[in-house]
Amino acid sequence: MTPVVIQRNIRWSGRLIVIGLVVQMLSLLWTHPLAFVCFLLIGCPLVGAGILFFLYSLVSHEHA
Amino acid sequence: MDTTTLIPIFFTMIVAVLGLFTAMRPEFTSARGGKILAFVALCILPVLSVWAGFDAQLDRSTSTQFCLSCHVMADFGKSLYVDDKSYLPAAHFQNNFVPRDHACFTCHTDYTMFGDYKAKWRGVHHVIVQYLGTIPKPADIKLYTPYNNRECLHCHAGSRVYEEAAPHHKTPDMLARAASNQLSCMSSDCHEFVHDVADIGGAAFWKPKAGGQ
Repeated sequence: MTPVVIQRNIRWSGRLIVIGLVVQMLSLLWTHPLAFVCFLLIGCPLVGAGILFFLYSLVSHEHA
Repeated sequence: MDTTTLIPIFFTMIVAVLGLFTAMRPEFTSARGGKILAFVALCILPVLSVWAGFDAQLDRSTSTQFCLSCHVMADFGKSLYVDDKSYLPAAHFQNNFVPRDHACFTCHTDYTMFGDYKAKWRGVHHVIVQYLGTIPKPADIKLYTPYNNRECLHCHAGSRVYEEAAPHHKTPDMLARAASNQLSCMSSDCHEFVHDVADIGGAAFWKPKAGGQ
């Protein structure tokens, strides 16, 4: 994987994580069952996907 | 907003800013320090942030306000204010036998190792029914299993008023049978009036003085 591709993957994983964290922040501002569900079903998967994508881009890195 | 909510929000905000910085400047990761920063910002801190957020969410989901935010639960909330000592939840709520801001959860969690998580899993099911299923009438809402005395005895076991009360000695083995869940605390002629939302229309209600909930 070239450095450009790695940087692109990092950019995407960062975006996913930030969106997930924003969902988490918004859900914490509202005391309602829907906020809990948004956190569980939207925030957590987005952050999880971002982390996994970042880790994938690390392990798939091949030295030239 | 209390500190148990504010701290995870601020922590999440800081982690999001760090993540945003890493996402906008990924070229930093070509240097050793940048790699470490990226690993911390995109792996370690988000995990900690989600953990903190989950803990905060779980804590607030035990609040009375949270449970009563679904319309179908409104009558159950009203039943806490029935002006009748024989109504068990009302007596507990009005006399602070349970914390008022966590009244529902205090009685309706399972006091077992994973009881809180089981209760929350049931709560997720309730939310799904609320928004995607057929909402039952309040009077049709029943417990999944008969109420276990373990939940009552979590607080009452060992207390003098419970162990010495004359009605608890109608038979010599009454307390033992209650402890082993052979005799329900909510049997007829005992503490049989619980929420009774079907009959709540004609009930008189307690009005807390200013400053109460």
